[in-house]
Amino acid sequence: MTELWQLSAAGLADQVRRGSVSARDVVRASLDRIERVDPALHAFVDHRGERALADADAIDGARARGEPLGPLAGVPIGWKDNLVVAGERTSAGSRMLADYRSPFTATALQRLQAAGAVLLGRTNMDEFGMGSSTETSAHGPTRNPWHRDCVPGGSSGGSAAAVAAGLCPLAVGSDTGGSVRQPAALCGVFGLKPTYGRVSRYGLIAYASSLDCVGVLGRSVDDLALWLAATAGVDPADPTSVAAAPTTGAAAPAADLRGVRIGVPWQLNGPGLDDEVLATVQTALATLRELGAELVECSLPSVAHAVPTYYLLAMAEAASNLARYDGVRYGARRGEGTSCDAMTTASRSRGFGDEVQLRILLGTFALSVGYQDRYYGQAIRARELLRSDFARAFAACDLLVSPTSPVPAFPLGSRIDDPLAMYLCDALTVPASLAGLPALSQPCGYTAAGLPIGLQWTAPAFGEDRLLQVAGAFAAATDHHSRRPPA
Amino acid sequence: MTAEPDLDRALVQHLADLARLHLPAERLATVLQNARRIVAAFGALGDLPLESGGDPDLQPVRLRTDTAEPPLPLDQVLANAPRTAGGMFVVPRVVDG
Repeated sequence: MTELWQLSAAGLADQVRRGSVSARDVVRASLDRIERVDPALHAFVDHRGERALADADAIDGARARGEPLGPLAGVPIGWKDNLVVAGERTSAGSRMLADYRSPFTATALQRLQAAGAVLLGRTNMDEFGMGSSTETSAHGPTRNPWHRDCVPGGSSGGSAAAVAAGLCPLAVGSDTGGSVRQPAALCGVFGLKPTYGRVSRYGLIAYASSLDCVGVLGRSVDDLALWLAATAGVDPADPTSVAAAPTTGAAAPAADLRGVRIGVPWQLNGPGLDDEVLATVQTALATLRELGAELVECSLPSVAHAVPTYYLLAMAEAASNLARYDGVRYGARRGEGTSCDAMTTASRSRGFGDEVQLRILLGTFALSVGYQDRYYGQAIRARELLRSDFARAFAACDLLVSPTSPVPAFPLGSRIDDPLAMYLCDALTVPASLAGLPALSQPCGYTAAGLPIGLQWTAPAFGEDRLLQVAGAFAAATDHHSRRPPA
Repeated sequence: MTAEPDLDRALVQHLADLARLHLPAERLATVLQNARRIVAAFGALGDLPLESGGDPDLQPVRLRTDTAEPPLPLDQVLANAPRTAGGMFVVPRVVDG
């Protein structure tokens, strides 16, 4: 018998709307699953327990009164610990914000609640989104449900592990350079990073503002589509949000891929890839051909510079954004009884972890007199070159395909002391981030050791519906997304 | 390509001062080692022809018009502050006397 925690968000909402199950039972099933499974994973930082059940009761009450219910009625949703909820804790995985409580709720979460979703709990993450393994969290690491000695990826590793382990059907993440897609790949679930500006960033704790996107992780394409339809749209509180044509929501997957031109950039499909990742993606490309797609070889020459470009921009923006943590208005304070300057220095030195401090230092370097043009300025130029590369590629194809991550999940502790090795985990995801393009990761196979491998799709700006359709067609023709980690 | 900068202890210490971070001596060596490796790896960006690509002064994020909006209530603004008094943030004494 299928249990409630195994159902998709679409399936749960449908049952709640029809009254065949109560929202309380759905939320209770997720809470029970968290109690049973999460002690071994640590996907959640905490959960809302009785408050989540009270929110579920409100939905059941609305149904009893005959009121219309939203498309996500009663669906329990986890959210990354860098999206704020009024009156509740948000730490961004940092000691700096251990006791922070926001006066307002992030727009994306507000819209999910308006669609009937129930906020379940905060998921673990790398501190301020700075990491690819969820090991830099001040709350301790999250473990990969497929292999508990391995990382879940990051920085939205808690959201990915929660969805993979069936703790909730959907979890919100954020993606600055791959932080939704890479953990989705390493945990064997779907992950969507929308076009920059498509989903409001209001209430997302800033890391690198020209790159940050709110995204989602789920176990089906339909669930991603439901999430996007609920959250997308312009928001006066986020000046970078865009009034694009509304997404069609649960976009019907293409029955086949005849007439679809899929670009295969050689720079993302060969050099530096793990052998099993390469072989698995080659098999996926053969499946796409069998589905009728036309595979087109293409080139993104500036991808060679994507990792330094991304990190220089992200570090520079982080150095600026994180200057706000001064021990005065919010955040931890240390060094009382000293000077203002010494108090700020003590607060930041104790509040930030090692990786965050390293990125602030390098960002300060990239922006400092004598180095700015050579590093930050060059990165701005390189970003524009990469955007031009994508524009040229999309003149000849509809979508691009590649692996999501050059490697499958790696053992906990194996890269955390080598920042450069960790940065290279993002080599395949940062190009779409730099160009502000929508991208999606979906399961496409497994290593001999049983670790998931992800396939990444990238579309032109606001091409989310096309992404969802093609990913849906590949999922319909394969069963990689149906496998579940050991109980 | 131009030579990499001499990223030494003095420069890292200067950057830490600018960023209001204190690096204890035992951590400085690790930070210096990592920073040197990362900057060396990123140096290839200097190979890009300077005249190509976008305008470095390009504003990557569109800014909203500078219009005043209703502020948060004062009690909410102060709610997360480590120390407050009389509706204000309290900081260490800045001016003697």
